[in-house]
Amino acid sequence: MSAPRKQHEKLLSRGLQFSFLLALLLVWYLATARWGVSRILLPAPATVWRELDDVLRSGEFLPHLRVTLIELASAFAIACTFGLGSGYLISRTRYAMAVFEPLLASIYSVPMILLLPLYVLFFGLGSGSKIALGATVSFFPIVLSTIAGFGSVERIFVTSARSMGASNAQMFRYVLLPAALPVVVTGLRMGFTIALLAILGSETIASFAGLGHKIAQLAEAMETARMFAYIAFAVAIVAILNIITTALERRVKLQ
Amino acid sequence: MAKSDVAVRIRDVSHQFGEPGDARFVQALQRTSLDIRRGELICLIGPSGCGKSTLLNIIGGLLAPTTGTIEVDAKPVRGPLPHDIAFVFQENALFPWCTVKENVMLGMRFQGVSRTEQEKRARDALAAVGLNDFMAHHPAQLSGGMRQRAALARALSLQTDILLMDEPFGALDEQTRIVLGEDLSVLLARAAKTIVFVTHSLGEAVFLADRVAVFSARPGMVKASIDIDEPHPRKPSFVTTEKFSDLRNKLYGLLHDEIRKSVESAAVTELNA
Amino acid sequence: MKENSQRNAVVWRMLIGRVGVARLAAVVAALLFWEVAARYRVDPQFLSPPSRIVLAMPSLFETPGVPAALWTAFWEFGVAFVIAVAIGLPVGLAIGLSQSRQSFMPIVLLLYGMPQIVILPLLVLWLGIGPLSKITFGASHGVFPISIAVVAGVQNIQPILMVAAQSMGARRWQIFRWVIFPHMIPSFFAGMRLGMAGVLLGVLLAELYVSAAGIGYFTLMFTQSFDPSRLLGLIAVLAVMAIALNVALRRAELHFARWRTD
Repeated sequence: MSAPRKQHEKLLSRGLQFSFLLALLLVWYLATARWGVSRILLPAPATVWRELDDVLRSGEFLPHLRVTLIELASAFAIACTFGLGSGYLISRTRYAMAVFEPLLASIYSVPMILLLPLYVLFFGLGSGSKIALGATVSFFPIVLSTIAGFGSVERIFVTSARSMGASNAQMFRYVLLPAALPVVVTGLRMGFTIALLAILGSETIASFAGLGHKIAQLAEAMETARMFAYIAFAVAIVAILNIITTALERRVKLQ
Repeated sequence: MAKSDVAVRIRDVSHQFGEPGDARFVQALQRTSLDIRRGELICLIGPSGCGKSTLLNIIGGLLAPTTGTIEVDAKPVRGPLPHDIAFVFQENALFPWCTVKENVMLGMRFQGVSRTEQEKRARDALAAVGLNDFMAHHPAQLSGGMRQRAALARALSLQTDILLMDEPFGALDEQTRIVLGEDLSVLLARAAKTIVFVTHSLGEAVFLADRVAVFSARPGMVKASIDIDEPHPRKPSFVTTEKFSDLRNKLYGLLHDEIRKSVESAAVTELNA
Repeated sequence: MKENSQRNAVVWRMLIGRVGVARLAAVVAALLFWEVAARYRVDPQFLSPPSRIVLAMPSLFETPGVPAALWTAFWEFGVAFVIAVAIGLPVGLAIGLSQSRQSFMPIVLLLYGMPQIVILPLLVLWLGIGPLSKITFGASHGVFPISIAVVAGVQNIQPILMVAAQSMGARRWQIFRWVIFPHMIPSFFAGMRLGMAGVLLGVLLAELYVSAAGIGYFTLMFTQSFDPSRLLGLIAVLAVMAIALNVALRRAELHFARWRTD
């Protein structure tokens, strides 16, 4: 498909998504203003807007956002270290790949959220358990994509580099790394996204800080308008982080 | 009403894709006319892009021509005629999730044949093409040659008077083509159908056809036609006769210039693009 | 002597050469490590060795309310999955077959990309702490992968197959029933496998969130009373359930995709 056609299609789909959201907003407004839906369960859009404005202005969100982001960064850092490291080592022999890759893939099929109670038992309700869960969940896409990326570098590239006298370090830097990079970077992005979701989830379920926790707390206190504001805020944060990571991924891939 | 001698009447048919001035505009066929006699096997041969497959699709009612008319048994063609015309395509048009036998029966189901009749015809058709032992296989398990035999069985089971074949052996290797060509000749001698056969292969055209219609380069039209007076079923030894060589050379002469023209015009469009 | 060591080498190579055996050995080694570490190194309040977990299983099931909680979670999953398929399949077909499919896909993808977890407290607020919120949350996770897979299965059919059917006189509903639908089935099963994982995740998240009853209650109880044996036992039962479901759906998927060559 030609480039202008693709751009046109993208604009069209963005436009549709936007109109859909507007339509949703309209229905929301009508539900509270005209159709008599309970204000406690569904606050009016205007009220939510006011609460959101207040939250942003007062900076009330800051400590919670900070907790979530620190947990995310730590979890991702740990997952990257272990994931990239072990992934690379496993990819060095075909034997290791055959043994470990299916094992890791099947462990990944279990919903990791099940480990949360164990981590809470171990680390308490604080950030430790969230970081542990985030790191555990995030580890798998990273290790699997690292194995795939480094493991599937065409033999012919390695052979021809070796025949030209490449040392191990040079082989890694100039052959393996560039060949594996696209796949590994995708795995990193997936790991990041899934870590964020796991952390928000675990904050919602069992925590005393962070964005997820704040939303749960407000639900319990029946402060629905403020809760809606925080939900919108959290969705925005997730969307922004997604855009950034996708853009980074594309940047690296185009190199 | 007695059936006329002409099975398919093509009158002043031309076809274009897109509108003049479009980037994608293609004049596939110029005004062309042809009468296809009942019971003859006519080959359409010509350079790539000359519109022979387009003409085939138009005859079969899969495409409406820009100008002109097609009549099949004196009826104007306005859409697919599953009771009069059956297709054999080049690519794999067998349904991959059905077994060979299910594929053949499904075609008849679309046509509207009763279940018991489907069974009987399927067995007969598959036996005729030599696939009795493979009825329960899926297409993915068969070789290319066997898949085309199955596609042929499906077309035969529909028991139409007319068979349209669009380079059915095009994706196969030379040796399989030879064998299938010989088998086809035997089969068709028994079946007494009208067949329109599109091919690229000169040898195949001379071996199979009663008449070969040569197309010019795009925009295509029938430039000339050669009659091949040899009884069916064609013996494999026909290929080694002088008669065969003469006909093949004649065909080559007619075709060569057109092939050159079409390759050169393709190169020019590439340069201009 | 030399013959012996040669034979040993062959046997050794045969054993380790079998990848499946090596994998099993790795798992056993991990379990042993866990056993030893939990028994002699870690405070028993925080971690139990596998042996003790297995031994605690009977007492886990005898704990009043645990079997009921597990059963509830299981059938909540079942209902949510059925709903996800019941909505996902028709929606996917409708979008895939419609002329204006381009209008709907962006919306589906937008909703799919939303982090549904942030809505969990709201959903529980609206629908209560009973099965309804769990089922809804689970179904909403499963609907999207299923629809998207069905749309793909309908859209990527080779055009030649449609042309062939038309040439044989098939009418529109016949083409749907005999060509489009069978072609879509392998994609549908792949979508169901992803959908199942989503539904399971959704139901578990909701169950864990609601600590007033059900699985969430017991995980809270075992955590607060520092009872890692029963906690891990509970987790293990749920994990086994997840693995079994995944294997079953993978088998089904392979069975229905037998005819695929790609």
